[in-house]
Amino acid sequence: MFRFEKKNLIKLALALCIVLTLVSLNPVSRQILLFTLKFPLILLKASQREAIALFTFHRNFFQSENLRKQIDLLNQEINALKELETENERLKRLLSLGETLNFKVIVARVVAHSPDSWSHAFLIDKGTRHGVAKGMTVMSYLGLLGRIIEANPGTSKVLLVSDPNFAVSALVQRSRQEGLVCGTLGGYLMMRYLPADSDVNTGDTVVTSGLNGRFPKGLVIGSVVEVRKEFSDLNRYAIIKPATPLSSIEEILVVIQ
Amino acid sequence: MKKWFFIPFIILSGLLQLTVLDSWRIFQVKPDLLLVSMVWACFIFNFRQAFLLSIFCAVLKDTFLPWPFGINTILFPLWCFLIFKLRKQLTLDYAPLQIALIFIVTLMQNIATGLMLILMGYTIAAGIFLRIVGVGSLYTTLTGALSLWVLMRMNLLRSE
Repeated sequence: MFRFEKKNLIKLALALCIVLTLVSLNPVSRQILLFTLKFPLILLKASQREAIALFTFHRNFFQSENLRKQIDLLNQEINALKELETENERLKRLLSLGETLNFKVIVARVVAHSPDSWSHAFLIDKGTRHGVAKGMTVMSYLGLLGRIIEANPGTSKVLLVSDPNFAVSALVQRSRQEGLVCGTLGGYLMMRYLPADSDVNTGDTVVTSGLNGRFPKGLVIGSVVEVRKEFSDLNRYAIIKPATPLSSIEEILVVIQ
Repeated sequence: MKKWFFIPFIILSGLLQLTVLDSWRIFQVKPDLLLVSMVWACFIFNFRQAFLLSIFCAVLKDTFLPWPFGINTILFPLWCFLIFKLRKQLTLDYAPLQIALIFIVTLMQNIATGLMLILMGYTIAAGIFLRIVGVGSLYTTLTGALSLWVLMRMNLLRSE
């Protein structure tokens, strides 16, 4: 067993010193490691993508055939929607409403995922050199994905909406009911602090409220799949299915302005 | 000399954990290859070397985590210290015992990390907590058994 001899105590103190120094130097060592590992990670991720592409070639071929047909149909719909958009713009101008959904974004690739199951985060290949800064919103074409929590010169770390450390002020699009959307570490999100008489139904779309100024207003977060009562019976909470499938993110958009 | 081949093994484990293993999630849980590497380092190297390697594994893992505080830089060397203490009391050169040890270490690591998050004020549902602790520990143990087989084939680790 461990004896409290002078030699042992000196060794233990030395080991503790090393560990504590490393803990305090964590942000410095992170930058060096991130810079060293960025290229092997990009290479590994690219080879993984190519290997998957080889295995799924046959399925993808038929899928692309179907998608081409869908593109033609969607182009027709886009034309119709453009007409509606013009009309909408004109009406908004009449009502003097400010346009809030014009963002300047940059595209980034995911190079690494969180190493454990207790956090949902990933590393992207764009950093401060490309205009990315801490706190910026990260989204996909379908909706909100997360926010930048660490920006280094060549890489940045993104905290996903499903991480328990993530929270965003949100609105139910239909009833304008406010709540706080938090991550759960699972596949769904939770909208909390809803009053017992709140007007929230299954299928409602939840969007960012833009109240705290961190996230732009009107970004789609997901849709309500279930509404439950809290243990205290005073409030309700809604289970939300994220608009973007969080398990297969390859490319993201960082809102830089 | 040959045992130093274990260092590229650690780096490869880290790279796989960050990329490929994300596609191999079971119940949204993935195995912790760096923790497995740390345990095997305790069987391959002497205490001082294993201690330094455990710090290396921990720093590598903490680099990619979203938390500002490096919890693994404290936990990994602690597990390393405890494994060496246990090895003085018990002979652990028997493969099933080594795999059981991986399970225990992973279980303690997951419980410690989960409790740290709860104490930091994050809301984690009991079902999700138990799923990550249970499934995560079992999945890591399975990959630990697989890596034991690889290390035995490489003659880096001797086990009965």
